[in-house]
Amino acid sequence: MIIIAITGILMVAAYFIPWAPLQGVKGVMTSWIVVISAATVAMGFVYMTTSQYKLYQKNRSTLQLVYTVTPYVFFAGFLISALAYPGGSNSPEYRWWFTNIYSNVGATIYAIMYFTLASSAYRTFRVSSMEAIALIAGGMIYTLRQIPLFQVYIPWIVPLGEWFLLVPNTGGGRGAVIAAALAALVVGIRTLWGKEVTLEVSG
Amino acid sequence: MLLGILADGTLQPLILLAVLTAATYVYNKKAYAGEIKADQLREIPAIAAITEGVGKSVEENKPVHYAMGASGGQLYSQLVSMTLVALAFLNYIAKLCAKYEAQLIVHMPYQAESIPLIEAMVREGYKAEGKQEAFQPSCLRYYGQGALSWTQAVTASYDQEGVGLNLSIGIFYSDCPISLEMAKIKGALNVGGTGRWIMVYAFAMMCDYVFLGQEIYVAGAIISENPLMLAGVWIEDLGKFYSLLLLGVGLIVGLLGVSAAAALFAL
Repeated sequence: MIIIAITGILMVAAYFIPWAPLQGVKGVMTSWIVVISAATVAMGFVYMTTSQYKLYQKNRSTLQLVYTVTPYVFFAGFLISALAYPGGSNSPEYRWWFTNIYSNVGATIYAIMYFTLASSAYRTFRVSSMEAIALIAGGMIYTLRQIPLFQVYIPWIVPLGEWFLLVPNTGGGRGAVIAAALAALVVGIRTLWGKEVTLEVSG
Repeated sequence: MLLGILADGTLQPLILLAVLTAATYVYNKKAYAGEIKADQLREIPAIAAITEGVGKSVEENKPVHYAMGASGGQLYSQLVSMTLVALAFLNYIAKLCAKYEAQLIVHMPYQAESIPLIEAMVREGYKAEGKQEAFQPSCLRYYGQGALSWTQAVTASYDQEGVGLNLSIGIFYSDCPISLEMAKIKGALNVGGTGRWIMVYAFAMMCDYVFLGQEIYVAGAIISENPLMLAGVWIEDLGKFYSLLLLGVGLIVGLLGVSAAAALFAL
């Protein structure tokens, strides 16, 4: 707790005071973050292997074996392409793995998100209460204002939709952001004070 | 003199920090004196829903899933407070799972440096219920870097192992719409929230019970039953009143066109 408090106070001081030695300390600590982050990935790898092995022990089917082995095959592929070719992670071989596999899988998963949004939007916009009616009215006006057909035949929908966006939406959002920021600040002060219960519990 | 030392634009944040630090001192003293209690706060339905969800998981013989976000293990960013709240919830759900003998699966964030804290919170939860032996390290799942690989792994876990309760609290980006909706499709009771306002929409749409924005901090204080964390709620409110005061004064000053005083607010 003492280390956390000292580190935190130094970082807060570096934010408020543009004094070169403090900025230097901030720079060193930022470098440590990168080192700690990289070093702990190995620990994550151990946890991943433990849970994958347990899952296979529970279900010794061929399919589960494929699920278990696949991440390690791709891990080895990425590792070898980064270490065995000149240029490391900038080598054409590594870039091929990254562009053709990682990026494409990522893009596919990202695209699935829009299907999940559509099904949840259907549930959310079902007219089941006064709040749902208000939500659907605001949502429809906000959405329809972007469609040229409605812009031509119902021109007043454009300023009304803009008003929903800029007044109730922005006002409510700012209130929520300020409230969450204040709460975060209180947690921060409690941590600097050495009284953050979560950190005490975790030892 | 002071203005010469401070970086540009940091006077107002410093005043706010001083106000909240002073309030922390006062309210911590009140907390130690036993003047602050959880029953002074309004009830949040989502807290009761967590216990209900654990019961549902036991009845259906399905696991309880806990996720704090693919990048929910941030220990050195502006969002660290959300990581700490997520850890408090993890401790709470571990206690409930130990108490009701439900299987717990924790989907850990890709910041591996937070793993020791996560494991400690789960172990502590089981220990608090006197069931240390029930803790299985394999319940802690790590999936490596990347929000979208995390999403794939989490949804695969819902599909393969089933999901009774899905509790998602913490730092969420585009990982939450897929994981929350998939849990819903697989029949889970979805309870969750994030302090990141931009992603609250996903929780509001996809969760059966939601903690809206700052509510995760309040709920974290309530479930901890710790007077110092509860005192934090009063301190936050004081900060809100201070912000309202600034807004009011700024509005009046702006309307009067007092440029020098208005410039003070920009400091």
